[in-house]
Amino acid sequence: MEPLHVTPLHDRHQALGAKMVAFGGWRMPIQYRGGIVEEHLATRRGAGLFDVSHMGRLSISGSEALAFLQHSLTNDAAALSPGRAQYTMLADDAGVAVDDAYLYRFDEDRYLLVVNAANRANDLAHLARLARRFPGVEIRDWSAQLAMLALQGPESEALLRRLLTEGTLPEARRNAAATARILGVPVRIARTGYTGEPIGFELMPPAESAGALWDRLIAEGATPVGLGARDTLRLEAGLPLYGHELGARANGETIPIFACPLARFAVSFAPSKGDFVGRTALQRQREAADLLRNGDATRHAEMPRRIVLLAIQEKGVAREGAAVFRDAAPAGEVTSGTMVPYWLPDTANAHALRPLACALVDSRARQGDVCAIEVRGRRLSARLVARFLDTRVPPRALPLL
Amino acid sequence: MIPENLKYTKSHEWIRLDGDRLATMGITAYAVQQLGDIVFLDLPKVGAKAVAGQTIGVIESVKAAVDLYAPISGEVLEVNTLLAENFEALAKDPYGQGWMAKIRGAEEGVPPDLLSAAEYQKWIAQEAKA
Repeated sequence: MEPLHVTPLHDRHQALGAKMVAFGGWRMPIQYRGGIVEEHLATRRGAGLFDVSHMGRLSISGSEALAFLQHSLTNDAAALSPGRAQYTMLADDAGVAVDDAYLYRFDEDRYLLVVNAANRANDLAHLARLARRFPGVEIRDWSAQLAMLALQGPESEALLRRLLTEGTLPEARRNAAATARILGVPVRIARTGYTGEPIGFELMPPAESAGALWDRLIAEGATPVGLGARDTLRLEAGLPLYGHELGARANGETIPIFACPLARFAVSFAPSKGDFVGRTALQRQREAADLLRNGDATRHAEMPRRIVLLAIQEKGVAREGAAVFRDAAPAGEVTSGTMVPYWLPDTANAHALRPLACALVDSRARQGDVCAIEVRGRRLSARLVARFLDTRVPPRALPLL
Repeated sequence: MIPENLKYTKSHEWIRLDGDRLATMGITAYAVQQLGDIVFLDLPKVGAKAVAGQTIGVIESVKAAVDLYAPISGEVLEVNTLLAENFEALAKDPYGQGWMAKIRGAEEGVPPDLLSAAEYQKWIAQEAKA
């Protein structure tokens, strides 16, 4: 087995008492001393700080950069003006995600694609193969030169503003991106993240400056958050995780992109987009998914199951693989699930926990339906909901109970 | 501190023998610490049959679900139902208020593969290195 990669912040994680685990080929903190619950809650009320340097950062530049991105990714890169970012996918011809990714345009002439750590090598090979038809494109891996931190939560903006030495933060809307100086160092800053927080940033400083930035953000009040709470936060926000709600699952099963509700924001059929890898399959998927959403099951066979959110209504925890039943018949299985903490509304510092899950279930299941999840011989009742969290009213994301 | 008067399993349960084949069991402070935030307990029912080395319950943390193994064979006499509402007791007092079940042993005596406090200490040191 290859030795694990470490990020420029590895020693700091250890000094903070983090429990380190192997994740996607990297040695990463799963939690610090406070634990997952505390880290999750700190993000929702204050500011959580994440080392996400394990993710891949690839630059795409050259005269054919845009044409290449339009061909290789599912979203409309032509709609991306400098100072913006977009959620996108690398699809295969069957319309299954090779990876989900974020495409940033900090500069006029260069795009930055952030991909999942475990998929980086595969993505690079996939893109290099597609790039053969585009001699005017250059793809470079910047993962080692640029670090990446996420600062998420209602306090994150004020905190970051205090450290700004030159320039301004990206404008106050989701997916805005800008380069500014923090502590004298140029940092690429975007209003993106994986927590559902209405206010949150991802920061890409030069690798050698990451440690000083990390230390200073903690000194200013940010709470370091590990992969454990990163997962509970994204689950509560209803965001997909590659390998669970997207792409190829551990059991080899593949999930069509449109089986994941958030996918529609990552796929464009705009005239400016033109043809791209997976387009024909994705067009068909979208038609089937749209019909199913409107209660029309005539094309159910094309998309027999899709990803839903299940709010479990009794005590118990549903984990990945747990069987889901609808009207007592097998209807699918849980793809992610755990207990997720939340601040009790209108209290100073009281919290509770609730069991939440994502599941791949029969596409005929509708919002509001009650399913059952089998956990160790017991069947837990669970309601199919549109979302677990209200993320639309800054500054705070609020639990929908 | 690992109490001297208890016996331990490699799967991090402790057991106290109170005579008359009555045993009290729980999980060790090390296990509680490794699990992180405990969020749900699935303890056996009174009257359930316990078989040494086999699952009699599940402990769920945010991270994962881990099985609770019976350290001895016998019948479950009593279960600490208060624990389900008070996970703090597990963190604060795993060997006292954090007890999980009382088992009437099927046979007299202690299964030979249970560890002493010193042996258990060695076992977790070894596990931490792995």
